Amino acid sequence: MKYVDEYRDAELGRALAAEIVATVEPGRHYKVMEVCGGHTHTIYKYGVDDLLPANVELVHGPGCPVCVIPMGRVDDGVAVAHEEGVIFTCFGDMMRVPGGDGTLLEAKAEGADIRMVYSPLDALRIARENPDREVVFFAVGFETTAPSTALTLMRAKAEGVRNFSVFCNHVTIVPPLRALLESPDLRLDGFIGPGHVSTVVGARPFEFIPADYGKPVVISGFEPLDLLQSVYMVLRQLADGRCEVENQYKRVVPYDGNPQALAVLAEVFELRPHFEWRGLGFISHSGLKLSEAYRDFDSELRFAVPGVRVADPKACQCGEVLKGVIKPWECKVFGTACTPERPIGTCMVSSEGACAAYYNYGRFARERVVV
Amino acid sequence: MSCDADGHCVTCSDEGVPMRVVATDAEGLAVCAGGVEVMTDLVGDVEPGDELLVHAGVALARLGGREADG
Repeated sequence: MKYVDEYRDAELGRALAAEIVATVEPGRHYKVMEVCGGHTHTIYKYGVDDLLPANVELVHGPGCPVCVIPMGRVDDGVAVAHEEGVIFTCFGDMMRVPGGDGTLLEAKAEGADIRMVYSPLDALRIARENPDREVVFFAVGFETTAPSTALTLMRAKAEGVRNFSVFCNHVTIVPPLRALLESPDLRLDGFIGPGHVSTVVGARPFEFIPADYGKPVVISGFEPLDLLQSVYMVLRQLADGRCEVENQYKRVVPYDGNPQALAVLAEVFELRPHFEWRGLGFISHSGLKLSEAYRDFDSELRFAVPGVRVADPKACQCGEVLKGVIKPWECKVFGTACTPERPIGTCMVSSEGACAAYYNYGRFARERVVV
Repeated sequence: MSCDADGHCVTCSDEGVPMRVVATDAEGLAVCAGGVEVMTDLVGDVEPGDELLVHAGVALARLGGREADG
């Protein structure tokens, strides 16, 4: 398939791997964080890390939108789903995320009308087809997904659809990265920047990483060769003593982002003063809520949302995994009490979660032998 | 409960899927191969044959055009 096959060429991959080997200093250990869960998935699906020298370590970042949802927000969603007359809609992976009091899938089994959708537009369609019901969309995701919610709300408003609302859990990528960089237990040499977030926000918002923290950033595509080339570009910057934002994914990422997308985000959303992240705690100005112009579509104003706060389970180390402090297989419950079938932590739910990616592609067996 | 056979939820992930436009419909949506409806507000007018990068029912970018700046 065009735009796919040419980025999976094994011969080119081996050539890039050889260049990486030639670029690194043998005695130095490199830690490079791939911010985005989609990158984590590609790395383990295609074994990209197997092509890297042993002293180049990829650390998995917080860019999985499902993994960062705190348990209390799931409980809030379940509470809304149980309200009389509500059809509750969400993406597939959200159904299995455990809250303090069960998952949306379990709530569905108990009789709540919860439906999986592929896009918010599907949820709006359900609202049109069920005018006597209240249809709620559980919105999650970074700036990649937020425009879809925004455009759907603009359609709903233009059409005068009154039985549709959004339980907004959209988040922004820069504040958690800054929080990670401020974290005293983290040592990173550079970042693989999130490609599809950047189609919306551009590469420019990541300039603070080289400017304030002296680390290179390379915005990367999602095919295996994209990632190999991006790792090479980060290592090349380090070898040259440079640190800047480079754009490996120029075929879809404009340096200043998509102006139409940024305009619809500005119209429909505003920043919350703070938002809770799974394992990372409250981060200032990191979450979005509906703007004043769209308050009539805000589920949190339309329903009695309990605003539940739930501490993460003690055994779960999602926070340390999300910060890249430990590897998934170093978590005490990885692969035993916590599996994709019965996840304790969110990182095991979505296939973009670092734990599920390790689990699904068999990394845990090899890693444990090494230990 | 995932969106594809690979156990991979392309919507929850930060993933864009290349899709080809086959038609446009009365709602102003592009219909892509497989019958998927896509909002094209962020990329301007599209025609059958155009290639788009799609995420959560929205075209985020065009594929196959000239390289973005920067």
